[in-house]
Amino acid sequence: MTLADLIQLGASLVAVLFVAWLVKAMGLGADPRIADEAHAIRLAEEADAGFRGVEVARDRAGFAAIVRDAGGRQMLVRAHGNHFAARPIDASVTGRLDKDFLILTMPERTFGTVTLQLGKDAGMWASRMREIARG
Amino acid sequence: MDKLPDPVVYAVPAFILLLIAEMIVSLRRDKSRYEARDTLTSLMLGTVSQVAGALVGAAVVGMSVWVYQFHLFDIGLDFRNWWWAWILCFFLDDLAYYAFHRSAHRVRWFWASHVIHHSSQHYNLSTALRQTWTGFFSLTFLFRLPLFLIGFPPAMVFFCAGLNLIYQFWIHTEAIGRMPKWFEAVMNTPSHHRVHHGVNPRYLDANYAGVFIIWDKMFGSFVAERDDEPVRYGIVKQLGSFNILWAAVHEWVGIAKDVWAAPWKHKLSYMWREPGWSHDGSRATSAMIKERWAAGRRVEEPAE
Repeated sequence: MTLADLIQLGASLVAVLFVAWLVKAMGLGADPRIADEAHAIRLAEEADAGFRGVEVARDRAGFAAIVRDAGGRQMLVRAHGNHFAARPIDASVTGRLDKDFLILTMPERTFGTVTLQLGKDAGMWASRMREIARG
Repeated sequence: MDKLPDPVVYAVPAFILLLIAEMIVSLRRDKSRYEARDTLTSLMLGTVSQVAGALVGAAVVGMSVWVYQFHLFDIGLDFRNWWWAWILCFFLDDLAYYAFHRSAHRVRWFWASHVIHHSSQHYNLSTALRQTWTGFFSLTFLFRLPLFLIGFPPAMVFFCAGLNLIYQFWIHTEAIGRMPKWFEAVMNTPSHHRVHHGVNPRYLDANYAGVFIIWDKMFGSFVAERDDEPVRYGIVKQLGSFNILWAAVHEWVGIAKDVWAAPWKHKLSYMWREPGWSHDGSRATSAMIKERWAAGRRVEEPAE
């Protein structure tokens, strides 16, 4: 790499950081929430064309939800940036119950840990997760 | 080899100005079109892509010059004498791009490198700059080699490829609805390319064009954008992360894991079959997703 290349790279990095800062400074972005059960089901079905949600456990703040289909398959949907991302809940997902909270740790490290405030339903969904783990 | 300037370098200031203009439009129309971490990820991926390109550039040029020595026709660079060859080169380079791009969506080895460009759930001008780091490794330069064999000088081909890339920048936007009908009929446009970035089953594996949409119409991969079905952007299994390194290599990691775990007779298939293919049918290819979606629609909308 020549000096000119390095200067060009340095200028690119400055421009990149400036544009990203500008997006924040201009107040661009959104605060997406899962509005209700129908919204959660729609998001899960969009993530998996064959999935048909019938039951939902929605986080009180609307950041995430677990959607179950008639066959017992479960899907985790959570906010990601301005949008949502989903993953199936299978035996590789670890669930931990903490009073009203259900904490799911995905095997995919970059997807992270998701905490859902489910109120009195948390225990029921935790036991469903144990059933999945048992196969 | 004759040298021509890289047109992309001269276009960068315009890219940045247009990006800021699009951000102002978003501020007025829809703030959710931009997200700071997504923009940072896209632009960083683009910057490192330039570094990766510079590192392997000499090898790509060397290979092109080597292939060019076997060329069939003598074509010069001088525009006044060879203007028709420049136009033909731009046109054929775009056809080569179509072939590359279609393969990049249908062969997992190529997809592993191209998926970076689709990994954002946003569709704005910063997405255009979300470019691959591993294009050389996935051998994507092979698709342009026939142009050198025909006799187009490498400098001409690389210049046309640069123009092609510049053209594709402005179509990565939601700020423009539809262009005039005649333009939509011939050229790739924001509307056509939005479909290409869509994960709605209806829109999967469509509109691979670079500059001219006619290739998709000729080879049966054209799908028009519908007003009643807004495009959802990204990849079938959304990343759910703004980790730059993960965005760049996640599919390569996936291939490595699958090849390692697969029975011997299926190992190669995890590299050359379409994304989503699995030997036990436990995953879904785009064709399977489309089929399930169509089956679901048939249930919801029974025939009269």
